[in-house]
Amino acid sequence: MAAEVETSGSMQDRRRGAPSSLARSEQINGWLFIMPALVLLGIFMVYPILWSLWMSFQVGRGMNFSFGGLTNIIRLTQDPVFIRALTNTLLFLAVQVPIMLVLALLFANALNDSKLWGRGFFRTAIFLPCVTSLVAYSVIFKSIFALDGIANQTLLALHLIENPINWLSDPFWARVVVISAITWRWTGYNMIFYLAAMQNIDRSIYEAAKIDGVPSWARFWFMTVPMLKPVILFTAVTSTIGTLQLFDEVNLLTNGGPSDATLTLSLYIYNLSFRFMPSFGYAATVSYVIVVLVGVLSLIQFLIARDRRG
Amino acid sequence: MSSVKLRSVRKSFGALEIIKGVDLDIGDKEFVVFVGPSGCGKTTLLRMIAGLETITAGDLEIDGQRMNEVDPSKRGIAMVFQSYALYPHMTVRENMGFALRFARVPKDEIDRQVNEAAHILALDPLLDRYPKQLSGGQRQRVAIGRAIVRHPQVFLFDEPLSNLDAELRVHMRIELARLHKELKTTIVYVTHDQVEAMTLADKIVVMRDGIIEQAGRPLDLYDDPANQFVAGFIGSPKMNFLSGTVAETNGKGATVSLAGLNGAKITLPVKGANAGEAVTLGVRPEHFGPAGAGDLDLTIGVDVAEHLGSTSFVYATTPSGEQIIIEREESRSEAVNDQITVSISADRAYLFDHTGARLR
Amino acid sequence: MSKALALTGRALTYLALSLAAFVSIFPFFWMILGTTNTSADIIRGKTSPGSALIDNIVKFLNSFDMARVLFNSFLIAGLGTALTLLVASLAGYGFEMFRSRFREKIFGGMLLMLSIPFAALMIPLFMMMANFRIINTYQAVILPSIASIFVIFYFRQATKAFPSELRDAARIDGLKEWQIFLHVYMPVMRSTYAAATIIVFMANWNNYLWPLIVLQTNEMKTLTLVVATLTAGYTPDFGVIMVGAIAATLPTLIIFFLLQRRFVEGMLGAVK
Repeated sequence: MAAEVETSGSMQDRRRGAPSSLARSEQINGWLFIMPALVLLGIFMVYPILWSLWMSFQVGRGMNFSFGGLTNIIRLTQDPVFIRALTNTLLFLAVQVPIMLVLALLFANALNDSKLWGRGFFRTAIFLPCVTSLVAYSVIFKSIFALDGIANQTLLALHLIENPINWLSDPFWARVVVISAITWRWTGYNMIFYLAAMQNIDRSIYEAAKIDGVPSWARFWFMTVPMLKPVILFTAVTSTIGTLQLFDEVNLLTNGGPSDATLTLSLYIYNLSFRFMPSFGYAATVSYVIVVLVGVLSLIQFLIARDRRG
Repeated sequence: MSSVKLRSVRKSFGALEIIKGVDLDIGDKEFVVFVGPSGCGKTTLLRMIAGLETITAGDLEIDGQRMNEVDPSKRGIAMVFQSYALYPHMTVRENMGFALRFARVPKDEIDRQVNEAAHILALDPLLDRYPKQLSGGQRQRVAIGRAIVRHPQVFLFDEPLSNLDAELRVHMRIELARLHKELKTTIVYVTHDQVEAMTLADKIVVMRDGIIEQAGRPLDLYDDPANQFVAGFIGSPKMNFLSGTVAETNGKGATVSLAGLNGAKITLPVKGANAGEAVTLGVRPEHFGPAGAGDLDLTIGVDVAEHLGSTSFVYATTPSGEQIIIEREESRSEAVNDQITVSISADRAYLFDHTGARLR
Repeated sequence: MSKALALTGRALTYLALSLAAFVSIFPFFWMILGTTNTSADIIRGKTSPGSALIDNIVKFLNSFDMARVLFNSFLIAGLGTALTLLVASLAGYGFEMFRSRFREKIFGGMLLMLSIPFAALMIPLFMMMANFRIINTYQAVILPSIASIFVIFYFRQATKAFPSELRDAARIDGLKEWQIFLHVYMPVMRSTYAAATIIVFMANWNNYLWPLIVLQTNEMKTLTLVVATLTAGYTPDFGVIMVGAIAATLPTLIIFFLLQRRFVEGMLGAVK
């Protein structure tokens, strides 16, 4: 059969055993184009992550380190600050990500209706927070939630609370502020992803369902959500990774306070490395905790997504 | 009884009026086809019957009940969409059974109905496949199956065959005709293809610009078009139109002088014409006879001749520049620049006035 | 579903969306308002504009060498963006147009690396910079961020829509591969580059943690860091900080409003 098929020059050459110039130039070009990226990634990602791994087994202060075996890992289990940072990070993850993704999904669903008045306005408005500089919005939130700030004033005026809430000095409320800030900032971003995916869905499916008497909640739950599974998975994974690495907001809003109530793993690593006398080895160990968490949680999410399909 | 009645129905999108007053009666178990050029409003009208578009003015009755405000799922209709609109993440079985889940039908009853519909459409081996694993024709049958399980009184089809290749289209046309006989329901079908309309319909409704130009049995529309638009729309290749003036009228009818043929005259048995009136003469390509066999002979030069085997299409231009198409059976001899002579018979010609209305 | 139920559903939807829109926009309004008030007033929750605008602006400009700070921000963000676009588009094009099984595996590996947290990299990177004595330089900030896996992935996805016949035609015309990339690919993919520019610039402009680690002296700091510094301390002057916040947000805000469509398209492109 192969003998009857006309082959290109390169294939004929290959049959003769000689690499053709076309195939070879393909290979060379293939490598050349990706080389800059690979080199940079190798230097600034692969090497550091491996170095971190090695580092996590070193103990010592500042630049004096020596091999410590599993000392760092043991230290993890006995370090109350680490436990605190870990629970905070996981808490933020468990609360903030689901709330944000559900809100984004609901907003996207509402905005997917072409007959909705003011659609463009709502979409722009909800997306606007994503454009802000993180510094800007941290500062804004800080002033809004100050003790005499506008948040308390409004709540007092509406008689929802009796005494002003000490937002940033109370462990519980500080966490609430952080979660609110992140949700405010990123819901619109995820919403856009969902909207895009929804707009790729053939509208007549919904019309067919309407004619068939499928109620609107069922259209959302049994049609939209399953069809959006790939995007939902994508946003879930990226949000998880983002929240596990949370640093900017907690650094600027509360600096991990009050008394480590909003301390996250990334902030702890920063403190260990750059605040006091650095313990780089231990910091590296903590950073690998994040690596492990990210890996495990991403894997779980992938598996969940796969299972439902059956 | 599953009749559909439209009374003075109008539809506007903002300031733009799309449907400009439609009156129509669709009888029980009738296969009615809405046909017309793009933008004529046929799909809009269908969607108004379905309840996917609101009715700006007028009344819609299904089975004697006014349905203007009724929810689509409660009108006793089912619809097959042009894109099939299958739920991509569900199997064929789940697609067909989805609606019944919300009608509170018990599970084994759903299974029974789905299997029955699948059997009618020969979908049995495909029940556990996903839409993306099916061919175009198979997907279409699933869409039809989904409509069947709801046992509607009226089936609505929105250009169901336009996404299929030519050969499959012919096959599916026959399938649809068979289905109509078997299911014995009313069908309202939208297409832009007049061949589908002619072959499938009990009644054709020709639309243009939001109004009904003519409604009636297919062969009635072919033989007796009400106006120039319908005459040109039904029948392929299109009817030839030659412009002329009424030279004189008398008891026998009107004598028309054809400007394009150097004033050649032909008399038609038509009563409504006035002398001096500008008129159009219509002759179908297949109605030209051999020289001498009709009431008027014309000799023209051949521009292009297409020979398809059993038929030939000859494209020619009249002295005044109007193009005409002649369809001839069993004749392959025409070649470019030949001169041929054909004849027009008065009883197979049509006369239209300057507004396009048919003169009888 | 009855008409009444449908209407209440509609009303609730509008209510929810309006609330969301208000919550989303309020902080911006608050920020602008804040620039006109004194710090004390802002803390008190004053909701009306004051007369401290000029005062705040002056104080802000005097707090740091603003010209230098802005220069730093624009240079780092601008140069970083340009380099990232170049490297990522080359790589995305390369991966998509010249396929080999081995390189697909590398690409797969790269996708896995997306989950590496920055926290795991920052210490070694810092040490690296220290060893090469480039702490507190522009290079130190820019270099690690040039190769962005996300942007490479984005360009690869976008390249799938690039008709390979164009490349074949150009080859027949005698162009070398790099010329094809420069003269055919780049112009055709203009809107992809535009969308990517917005995303990358925004990320670079807002970058906080890494510049915080690497830039030590005031004359090297970016606007983001400067505003953060103003916020720290026991008695931050919120009026001044608000001015800084607006300055920090303004570039991305302007770009957003100018290129709204492209902005959203840029994100959508990654979804497809």
